[in-house]
Amino acid sequence: MPKPTPSQTVGPFFARELLWKDGGGVLFPGRGDRITLTGRVFDGNGAPIYDALFETWQADAVGKFPSGDDGSRPYGYGRVSTDSDGRYAVETVMPGSFTGPGGERYAPQISVAIFARGLLKGLRTRVFLAPLELIKDDPLARAIGDPDRLRTLIAARDAGDPKIYRWDVRLRGAGEAVFIEF
Amino acid sequence: MDVHPPYLYPDYKSTRLRAPSEPLVRVAPSPLEATGPVFPKHFVKDSEADLTTWGRSAPLGEKMVLVGRLLDEDGRPVRRSLIEVWQANASGKYPHPVDDHEAPLDPNFLGKGQVLTDDEGRYRIVTVKPGAYPWQNHAFGWRPAHIHFSLFGNAYAQRLITQMFFPGDPLLAIDPIFQSVPEAGRRLLIADLDLEQGVEGVALGYRWDMVVRGPRATPMGV
Ligand SMILES: [Fe+2]
Repeated sequence: MPKPTPSQTVGPFFARELLWKDGGGVLFPGRGDRITLTGRVFDGNGAPIYDALFETWQADAVGKFPSGDDGSRPYGYGRVSTDSDGRYAVETVMPGSFTGPGGERYAPQISVAIFARGLLKGLRTRVFLAPLELIKDDPLARAIGDPDRLRTLIAARDAGDPKIYRWDVRLRGAGEAVFIEF
Repeated sequence: MDVHPPYLYPDYKSTRLRAPSEPLVRVAPSPLEATGPVFPKHFVKDSEADLTTWGRSAPLGEKMVLVGRLLDEDGRPVRRSLIEVWQANASGKYPHPVDDHEAPLDPNFLGKGQVLTDDEGRYRIVTVKPGAYPWQNHAFGWRPAHIHFSLFGNAYAQRLITQMFFPGDPLLAIDPIFQSVPEAGRRLLIADLDLEQGVEGVALGYRWDMVVRGPRATPMGV
């Protein structure tokens, strides 16, 4: 059995190489409610991380997994970098919930990977686009248990603009987001 | 045994404020994460696997051919999967606004390429050997020559970003990024010289195989 290739940092010099025009506009073949997931990424001092690669992968509006492409890029996948304020924004469709092989119910969520200088391995997590009461049966919510920790993965719907979901990600320290491993 | 580096590796200073302090939560990949982005064949042009033909003439440096296979942990080839590469030029300079290394840009070298693996998981790229470059992590710090790799596998759970190094490089011993990898894993990041994969009289040949985790391996100890 071959051993997996070890991870290494993406480093500071990825921008021109890995970013796409409109990489923050996630494509889907079908319709759905368009939303924007946006927020800021912070380090252990609460300072913005201005050089992170932020990626998303998600189900479509009815909880079906994307397959294929629109002829130019894959469906369902978003890729942006944070800006000088640590801010990212991904414009996409509201994902539907889906069911696992054992009947587990996955709440509406986006699978997220964050890569940056200083991250020897990409950080993996899932952001929920539903309030705490509606995600309690989700497998990750159950694995976390503690509602205060779980809240670090819940995007808040903007009071003024219901199309905007806000999610800040603290990598370390007070309010540190929950990260996962497979 | 884990071959991956830890998040917190104080000798690599940037990890100190960016590594999570809480333990990660181990979960099985969701059925969503057992699938992944599918890149159309024409997303990648054949010419993008050759980093030396981008300019008006050949870039400076030692021309090289790199071949290898992308496998999963069960030894199965990962087919039709996107591999993205980027690297410094032969002088150790990136065409990037935040690269302050005082070394020349090469107008004939962008240092960026991509390729899809074939039906046996194979890939081949043509480039020049990147130069080492200084960095400010520690006094007299220099990064060993390396090529950055971004891999997708066939499932989002397999997503991996890493770096490939060159055999016999004395800078490996002083590079905290390379040294962050547990000893058992370091060899896996170093390409082998494979002269016959090169082009006689033109380009050196190297071989580097990569392995991503299985798409839906179950969590350990749960
Ligand atoms: Fe580099």
